[in-house]
Amino acid sequence: MAYHNQQIAEVAEALKKRFGSLENKNEILRAAELKALFDQLKELPSEERAAFGKEINALRQELQQMVLGAQDKTEKLEPIDVTAPFDVNVPEGKRPQLLSSEAGSKHPLMTELERVLDIFYRMGFTAVESREIDDDYHMFTSLNFPEGHPARDDYDTFVTTEGLIAPAHTSTMQNRVLQAQKDNLEAGNPIAAVIPGRVFRNEDLDARHEHTFYQLEGVYVDKGVHAGNLIATLKTFLQEYYSKELEVKTQPFYFPFTEPSFEFAISCPFCDKKGCNICSQTGWIELLGCGMIHPAVLHEAGIDPEKYIGFAWGCGIERLVMMKYGIEDVRYFESARLDFLRQFA
Amino acid sequence: MKVSLNWVKEYTKVDLSIDELVEKIGVQLGAVEQVINLGERYQGIVIVKVVECKKLEGSDHLSLCRVDDGGKAKDVERGSDGFVQVVCGAPNCKQGMLVAWLPPGVTVPSSWDGDKFVLEAREIRGQKSNGMLASAKELAIGDSHEGLLELDEGKPGDDFAATYKMDDYIIDIENKMFTHRPDCFGMLGVAREIAGISHQQFRSPNWYLAKAPVQAGNGLALEVKNELPGLVPRFMAVALQGVTIGPSPVWLQTYLSRAGVRPINNVVDATNYMMLLTGQPQHAYDYDKVKAQSGETATLIVRNPHSNEKLTLLNGKEIQPRPEAIVIATDKQAIGLGGVMGGADTEVDDSTQNIILECATFDMYSIRRTSMEHGIFSDAVTRYTKGQSPFQNQAVLTKTIELLTDVAGAKVASPVIDDNHTDTKDIPEVKVAVDFVNVRLGLALDANEISDLLTNVEFENEHDGETVTVGTPFWRTDIELREDVVEEVGRLYGYDHLPLELPKRDLTPAPKDQLLELKSRVRDVLSAAGASEVLTYSFVHGNLLEKAGQDPKQAFQLNNALSPDLQYYRLSLTPSLLASIHPNVKAGYDRFVLFEIGKAHNQTQKDSDGLPTEFEMLDVVFAASSKADVTGAAFYQARKYLTDLCGTLGLPLEFRPIEAEEDYQVAKPYDHMRSAKIFVLGTDIALGMIGEYKASVARAFKLPKFTAGFGIGLAALQEALTHSAQKYVALPKYPKVTQDISLKVPSELSYRELYRFVWDAISKVRPENALPALSPVDIYQGGDKKTKNITFRLEIASYERTLTDQEVNNLLDKVAEAAKAKFGAERL
Repeated sequence: MAYHNQQIAEVAEALKKRFGSLENKNEILRAAELKALFDQLKELPSEERAAFGKEINALRQELQQMVLGAQDKTEKLEPIDVTAPFDVNVPEGKRPQLLSSEAGSKHPLMTELERVLDIFYRMGFTAVESREIDDDYHMFTSLNFPEGHPARDDYDTFVTTEGLIAPAHTSTMQNRVLQAQKDNLEAGNPIAAVIPGRVFRNEDLDARHEHTFYQLEGVYVDKGVHAGNLIATLKTFLQEYYSKELEVKTQPFYFPFTEPSFEFAISCPFCDKKGCNICSQTGWIELLGCGMIHPAVLHEAGIDPEKYIGFAWGCGIERLVMMKYGIEDVRYFESARLDFLRQFA
Repeated sequence: MKVSLNWVKEYTKVDLSIDELVEKIGVQLGAVEQVINLGERYQGIVIVKVVECKKLEGSDHLSLCRVDDGGKAKDVERGSDGFVQVVCGAPNCKQGMLVAWLPPGVTVPSSWDGDKFVLEAREIRGQKSNGMLASAKELAIGDSHEGLLELDEGKPGDDFAATYKMDDYIIDIENKMFTHRPDCFGMLGVAREIAGISHQQFRSPNWYLAKAPVQAGNGLALEVKNELPGLVPRFMAVALQGVTIGPSPVWLQTYLSRAGVRPINNVVDATNYMMLLTGQPQHAYDYDKVKAQSGETATLIVRNPHSNEKLTLLNGKEIQPRPEAIVIATDKQAIGLGGVMGGADTEVDDSTQNIILECATFDMYSIRRTSMEHGIFSDAVTRYTKGQSPFQNQAVLTKTIELLTDVAGAKVASPVIDDNHTDTKDIPEVKVAVDFVNVRLGLALDANEISDLLTNVEFENEHDGETVTVGTPFWRTDIELREDVVEEVGRLYGYDHLPLELPKRDLTPAPKDQLLELKSRVRDVLSAAGASEVLTYSFVHGNLLEKAGQDPKQAFQLNNALSPDLQYYRLSLTPSLLASIHPNVKAGYDRFVLFEIGKAHNQTQKDSDGLPTEFEMLDVVFAASSKADVTGAAFYQARKYLTDLCGTLGLPLEFRPIEAEEDYQVAKPYDHMRSAKIFVLGTDIALGMIGEYKASVARAFKLPKFTAGFGIGLAALQEALTHSAQKYVALPKYPKVTQDISLKVPSELSYRELYRFVWDAISKVRPENALPALSPVDIYQGGDKKTKNITFRLEIASYERTLTDQEVNNLLDKVAEAAKAKFGAERL
């Protein structure tokens, strides 16, 4: 590094020379010359102080890096025989062992997701995981969001410097799933798929909001599908999930990729509609968004909307888990804290 | 969208109770965020006449009033004439005026949402004051608290709320539901929907349907030019004269306040009233100010901004409109940001006498971009960005002028100029088969039923029993497809009445996704082995990558990250896991294993479709703090986890040393002297890296000394598993012989090489038709570190006969001889 200040440059050169011969490399940071420079700083007129200060700080940092580098060399571990099953001279009882399975834990979000997938497998759905980086076409255009459409505002998406998108919903996979199963559909088999994945929204963090969360998308396409099929499918899934009879209701909603669109709510499974903290005393829990797949979305995937009708939904996973265990802060999920994680089997 | 129930009731009958209505709206129109019982906030407020108003002795601003409440209030002290005494601080208090009186016991409406202020009778400067006389602010109607709100309707003793329709419910419906329904941003549209879902015929008022033209006036010259007909399908303007600016009549103020809009003055209030009613924003300019800024004649031109053109908006902000923005200008300069916000220079003020009223329609995308770019969000923007219809402007303009005549004395002073409008587009007609609707809803409606539902909300339609031909009303811009009609019918019919039937399926099993299955399997095995699964963010700080020796330049970077902490996509999962170790050590965990299954990306790696490759990764770290009792290198602990995992999955591995540091980002955190590449045994199928971390990395992440881990690609693992079928070997009937062999070899010779040599040697000399197995027993190294002793255990059994100890010992002697010849090994 070149120093503009003549005096600092000279000190730098001298100290670097000395560094090689030092036994204790740390001593270089306590060199008298360096201290003198710092003392001098206090005396300087304020207009010179900033530039001078910057340079001596840079010098100190450079020296610190040299010390650390030297440490890395001395701390360099001896090579080991990586082909061996255990280290030399380690008696049998001290060789690597697994921890007790009690210490182990699966992440509660993943456990729940596996449960959800298992139910859908049994209902005849296949599964495919969503992407974490995608393009505008799959995230918006293929889903019938025209360029510049205000509905895009509702998805505060992260965008990379190259214009790629961190998907804000698992619907980003719809077009791919529909295309992949198109031939199978035309051979007479319905498309029935669920798509779990991690999605992202440009939202500030607090106990109830995460910028990173998990969603499960579902799509079903066949001839003669109707909105009652959609509601029955979701109701059946949720009854299996909560192992009880539930009431369901839909509220009209707007998504560009479904027509009609709904918000889907169930009677609170925790209080059986009597009213509790989980359902905010309303007896109902709004759980997901759904609707009949917009013909433009089918068409974009090469499926003839004259012949085929579909439905789709998207459901957050965090909420299911938070309600189930009474977890108070969504941020724990991605905190990697064993205090939290080891509470789950 | 705040909906006033009383306002809606002026256009349609509502027989349901408020609870039933809200439930119905929720199910058939959109989610209701909140219902406010406005009536209870105005309960007990009485209209009174001030019969006497005199200065209160000892005060320079208070007056002592006596009011006539028609004897309405109970439990209040009255004079012998029946009037009630109230002390009042308002400067405009005068004898004879009608005002709202809040008797003792009544809550001040403006305090309702905060600390409720309940009035009482109390002494002020020796005089009893019973409750208070109210300003607009105290009544939560407007901002003005400078004086009493002088009422213009009712008589002493009348209920204030009933007189001004404040005995209302405000139903706040989520805007999001109406993203494609500009008509529902007006009471008229919501009233139509409420009629529709209640299965009643709705009739729009005549003035709305008739679209009567405005009688042209004269007196004020006005020129209008629409240079952007593509972006502004309609731009109507008219000059009005003889305007007296002042507060609106109280009824008008209360209508606005119920819908959450602040009254300003009669002209602005009239345009806002019409916006709340129809969803159509309008703007009023001060005619004389426009004229002063024009050349000869007052002129409005719709155009894009000139370069470097600046504009001061009504909110006082000066902006330079984006080049594609729609500005309204005179022939000299820009005076407003069309459809977004008017300009300050032509604002209507108290001295305005003549105005220009604009009733325009703007392109929703253009308005959205302008609004976003300049960060301006107004009621007009909310409505224009839903795509307002250009076909209701005529009706709205005519009705607004009527209202302005009533409340501000306005007279039409020019023709209505409707320059260059593009409303020639045919109103779309949608033909939809009855079957098409029924198949999608699972219903069996007949053509008449469908027709009735649509007719209720004023869709013109006809049918032949099989097909319904639907004409879209001019206020709807969202009906183009048959599916749109299905939505309309389903919603009006009620989705809660659809038949709930599961789709029928055959018995074909649904195939499971192999990758998800593998992840689930890995999760089970590792958690059973005492490892804890973590999930960490997909986005990390550039520093985190650097701390792990990785190059942020290879990582995808977010343009709009929430913070630098979340700026880069991960190159591997390792840095996030390393960052999770120290906090857990600090939290008191002495020995733990963390693992994460997730995706990594690298700018240099693209798939065939041009998108970044998503690397499915498993990363595991083992850490033991200085308090834990550990022996040997941490590497072997990580290795134990990996071989256990792959062993359970049925995949044997081998570990190959690394000659020099690898250039892959995945390899960067590892110290290559204590790391290995992981391969499927006997193949070149690479799975990943295992090892301890560089000293610089360990220091940066404050790792305990005993830390090691591995990262493997799950796609490669899955691929390898599909090729590795588990094998069975028949069991020998004869007993097995077990013997050890210890060889002293040079330290440089790797365990693996010796093992392979010994195994091959055994294979050459062992009896045919036998089953051997070779396993490690011990590795010992003396102080000089020049040699090491490796002990193997051979277990062998024959399929044909019983082997003797001597036979096996001889066999091992031969192996030792071969090892001596090859490596100079010495059998111990």
